[in-house]
Amino acid sequence: MSSLETSRRGFLTGVGALGAAAALGGCATATTSGSSAQQGGAVTLQSDLSSPLAEKAMQALIAAYSKQSKYTVNLNTVAATTYQPLLPTYLTSANPPDIYTWYAGSDANHYAARGLLLDVSSVWNSSAMNKYPAALKSLSTDAAGQQIFVPTDYYWWGVFYRKSQFAKWGLSAPTTWAEFLQVCQTIKSKGVIPIGLGAGTGTAWVASAWFDYLDIRLNGAQYHRDLLAGKHSFTDPQVADVFTAWKQVLPYFDPNGTAVTWQEASNQLIQGQSGMLLTGTFFADAVPAGSLDDLDFFKFPVIDPSVPDAEEAPTDGLFASSRTHNADAVMDFMTWMTTPAAQNLWTATSSGTVIPANPLAKSPATPLVEKGKAMLAAASELTQFFNRDSTDALQNTANTALIDFIQNPGKLNSILATWQSQAEQVWKSA
Amino acid sequence: MAATRNRQLRTIGFHTGASFLSAIWFLPIALILIISLRSTNDVLANGLNALPHSFAPGNYSSAWTGGGMEHALINSAIVAVPGVAITLLLGSMAAFALSRYEIPFRRTLILVMLGGNLLPPQILLVPVAKLSQVFGIYDTFTTLIAVEIGFGLGFYVFVLQGFMRSIPTEIQQAALLDGAGPIQIYWRIVLPLARPALAALGALAFTWIFNDLLWPITVLITESKMPVTPALLTLQGQFVSYWNVIAAGSVIAAIPTVAVFLRFQRHFISGLNLGAVK
Amino acid sequence: MTVASTQALPSGSATGTPRAQRRTRGPRRRFRPFGPSPALIAFVLVPLLVESVAVFWPAIQGFYISLTHWDGVNPPTFTGLGNYRQMFSDPVFRKALENTAIWLVLFGTVSAAGGLGCALFLQRERRGISIYRAALFLPVVFSLTATALMWQTLYQPNGMVNGLLSSIGLGGWQHAWLANPSTALYAQIVPALWREIGYVMVLYLAGLKGIDPVLYEAAKVDGASAWQQFRNVTLPQLRSVNAVVLSVIVIDSLRSFDVVWALTQGGPYNSSQLLSTYMYQTAFVNTDYGYGCALAVVIFVLAFGVIVSYLIRAFKETD
Repeated sequence: MSSLETSRRGFLTGVGALGAAAALGGCATATTSGSSAQQGGAVTLQSDLSSPLAEKAMQALIAAYSKQSKYTVNLNTVAATTYQPLLPTYLTSANPPDIYTWYAGSDANHYAARGLLLDVSSVWNSSAMNKYPAALKSLSTDAAGQQIFVPTDYYWWGVFYRKSQFAKWGLSAPTTWAEFLQVCQTIKSKGVIPIGLGAGTGTAWVASAWFDYLDIRLNGAQYHRDLLAGKHSFTDPQVADVFTAWKQVLPYFDPNGTAVTWQEASNQLIQGQSGMLLTGTFFADAVPAGSLDDLDFFKFPVIDPSVPDAEEAPTDGLFASSRTHNADAVMDFMTWMTTPAAQNLWTATSSGTVIPANPLAKSPATPLVEKGKAMLAAASELTQFFNRDSTDALQNTANTALIDFIQNPGKLNSILATWQSQAEQVWKSA
Repeated sequence: MAATRNRQLRTIGFHTGASFLSAIWFLPIALILIISLRSTNDVLANGLNALPHSFAPGNYSSAWTGGGMEHALINSAIVAVPGVAITLLLGSMAAFALSRYEIPFRRTLILVMLGGNLLPPQILLVPVAKLSQVFGIYDTFTTLIAVEIGFGLGFYVFVLQGFMRSIPTEIQQAALLDGAGPIQIYWRIVLPLARPALAALGALAFTWIFNDLLWPITVLITESKMPVTPALLTLQGQFVSYWNVIAAGSVIAAIPTVAVFLRFQRHFISGLNLGAVK
Repeated sequence: MTVASTQALPSGSATGTPRAQRRTRGPRRRFRPFGPSPALIAFVLVPLLVESVAVFWPAIQGFYISLTHWDGVNPPTFTGLGNYRQMFSDPVFRKALENTAIWLVLFGTVSAAGGLGCALFLQRERRGISIYRAALFLPVVFSLTATALMWQTLYQPNGMVNGLLSSIGLGGWQHAWLANPSTALYAQIVPALWREIGYVMVLYLAGLKGIDPVLYEAAKVDGASAWQQFRNVTLPQLRSVNAVVLSVIVIDSLRSFDVVWALTQGGPYNSSQLLSTYMYQTAFVNTDYGYGCALAVVIFVLAFGVIVSYLIRAFKETD
């Protein structure tokens, strides 16, 4: 009996000691001071450029960088659809990746306001960047006046179509809204889906392109930016006008448009299953090589000639975590990425449909790019795209509202009311 | 005779029915296998439903190298093999002590450990992620292996102790008379006797760790460290709309567990039913 | 991740007998000359320590974090039951709760009935039976992620499911299964069922094998029809298996995270959101860790009843 008692007591003591040790151990909510494993050392580039061509191009860039630098950069490519929701987790983790591909605009500023981004003003002072246009610099500057972003390239959006198809149908690129509707009608009569979409799960954001462009064409870029910043309401009559115009083309949309991804919609265009697609040139990295030869685009049709033309010209680039453990390596890499040599290499190894941010770099000399560049140069204003001009959180509200509208256009009023209340929550917590 | 003919008809009827059922069940797998062997141009041009116009085993190499499946399978092995080994070791140790010795609070301990396995993992995700960051072991295989071990341990202890309880005490008595201590009894006598149970649980454990999605995506960030199950999602993100490559990737990801299943089929099924029929 | 094993109910005497008596009876004498040796203590404490560090300690932290508001970067602020109050007015939470309940009921009843049906159908040891059983069991060994991706291909608007429907004349039933909010949840239950039925079948097969054939003989002698035999012999004998199947189903419902996360992440616009996916999204996408942990606690509470009943059964069996 007694031996059992002592053994039991001894056992309890052992367990008690365990418990005490556990209690004394760290708490999950302890915030680290940021002094992580190694000072110096390799830096990680977290990249969302996951399309096959883009990833290859990125690897080529890293390889070229390593050849001429003492620093090591490790590439970590994440699927684009996974990257966007996880970006906040990356930035707030205790040992965050050092460099990130992402966009400029209020999206980046939002992270900067939370103190998550590294101040890269010294990169902007380098000789490589002093030819960059002032517009790009102001785009990369946060509310505190520091640069937190380094642009590497930008691209454009347009309504893409196949030249051979249009020729077969006897169509030419429309410039006005009325012409556009006629083109849709003609294509439909040929038994082809006039407008592809590709706003399926994971890529619902492409629907925002239609909202953006209709808003810009009808109400102007300034109104659009103010709306996204919360200075107007989604229940305004101007926004209702956007949807009235949209309803005119909705019948010509792919009925499965909200069920397929933009990659599929791009392939449908190339295969001739749809006639036109409003898309940015990023699609070129995801389609089979050689598909671009038959493609051309026209700028989004003008609805109201009195509204100055604005275009969407999203700018891509890099920012870095403010808690990186090797700021020198980060700055060195980012500086190198802005040089004409690096940007030319990107142009050569990717699909070659983006415009390098550095004016000294050679743009791809294809007719498509020439046309795109000219279109952007002629625009009176440039916007970035819905989420880049606002926040990822607001983009999520747009996805919900717009997909709902496309599937249930009759519910417009309640959709707009819900959108406004959800947007207000986002603007409040920003 | 009518009875024999009746029975024959019933047998035919059974086999027809069973074959039909099995065919329906296997159909999705068959369709995926077909798609995985069609070329991209074929799928894009003729759609998913068309009969194959091509034969493109190259999809598998696309998924293997370009899609990172090869690397991911290695990662899965790095996590699963030590995970299973250590789990079985620790589990059998605890089961041995708790089933064959009068340890105080025996039953409570077994149930407490089992309870740890029954917890919904959601309650652990945030703390484990953040704790591993605090200790600087975030994004390491060690953490992932440790979590998989810790989370599964309770179940194996429970099952093994049930199994070990049924080993006759005479064997242990004999060993004690020979002067053997508990460690030797464990290693030389009980563990070998428990081999069927261990094989069964090993097959199960391997499958569960291999197929796990939630813990790798919580504890790892670097894509190149991802085991094969989360790597499939990366593959899907990379090859969006290239259903043939995604199909090939899914097949590659499924092969190891299918191989384990076929090889250890008896053990597998008996593992699921350990102790079910006494 | 949990697989339950059924153990035959211990025969009469074991439960409820005072400890002292049991110690001197039967073949279960234990050997403890001078109390447990240090080696044995280590045998128990080391695994217990591993599990405590990996599971119990974080679990306690999880409960604590649910009482705070925390964005992962700045120190947490204590809000008491604030997160739980937030749930009441959160429409997405209500939708997730509703969907989880729908999933549990549909997934649970169909997999139990389907598994039992298949087990009954395939219970006799005949030639070729193992092939049929293996065909139904095969999906169990795939990861749910691989299963989900396979079905994603089939569910495409121009994919096999729609193709099959139109080829048998049911073209009107075609849908954009994963993109349509009214079908997304149910479409995702199908692959989970495809997997679960094989699993439940195996559990029931073992249970059926354990039924003493004498009982059937007796029933046949009494003139019972097949259906009556099923109701009066099979079902009662399967009671303990049913308990196991129930716990397995409930716990596997929580694993449905894999399927939904791989296919729709809870979309389109939260129509297929489950508590498990909503928790993950809240914690790791919106970095609202406090609210995420509160959701996890809710999941725990929902599973609690099943956990406790399982533990009680296990308690009765461990001695």
